[in-house]
Amino acid sequence: MLDTVSSVFSSAGELAKTSEVFKTSSVAPTAQPASAGMGFNNVLEQVAADAIGSMKAGEAASIQSIQGKLSAQKVVEAVMSAERSLQMAVAVRDKVVQAYQEVSRMAI
Amino acid sequence: MIDPLQASTQIASSGLEAQSTRLRVVSENLANASSTGRAPGSDPYRRKTTTFTAEMDRAAGVRMVKVKDIGSDQAPFRVDYEPGHPAADASGYVKFPNVNSLIEMGDMRETNRSYEANLQVIKQVRSMVSMTIDLLRS
Repeated sequence: MLDTVSSVFSSAGELAKTSEVFKTSSVAPTAQPASAGMGFNNVLEQVAADAIGSMKAGEAASIQSIQGKLSAQKVVEAVMSAERSLQMAVAVRDKVVQAYQEVSRMAI
Repeated sequence: MIDPLQASTQIASSGLEAQSTRLRVVSENLANASSTGRAPGSDPYRRKTTTFTAEMDRAAGVRMVKVKDIGSDQAPFRVDYEPGHPAADASGYVKFPNVNSLIEMGDMRETNRSYEANLQVIKQVRSMVSMTIDLLRS
């Protein structure tokens, strides 16, 4: 599952890299509270890395609970954190795709 | 400082763990409500108590709840006259554990309520987070 997720995110990252217009678009400042030198694709990569990291933690916790090493509460906490990161990342990716499509549909 | 909503989840989760430990102690007390000693005149099972403490979590910068320690109840044992019992002393009296199952039931109900409250916090956090993320999906 993680492989498919990471491929989805890397494709979203590629999308952001190829469309340099996002760097100057109005979308970038809202999603980028960090330093001005950080491009939108960096932000996207960071979100994707966070999501993948917390999903890996969630899966590791699940496996440990199957082995009886971890309490149910810890597993629920880890999996919920992963779920939240994934939802966040998917929402951001959808927004990026939407913005890209709007730009590509623009009448010149 | 981490995200306050995520911190709330962690705090509630620590509450869940603490209450689980308390339930474990209650179940120990109930299961051993009539465990007497082995030798004549020896002490039976002594009721265990749970105490909690607030503990600072340095990584998250919040105060979690933890089980401080599992102590033992110093109340006197119940004494019954049972001359045939293997743990009876010279005059035929047997010491039984100082466990009152009504108190344990009350403790158990309180544990349950506290667990439910912490679960409710987690549910609330989840709904608030998903409402916020939904803003992106207009």
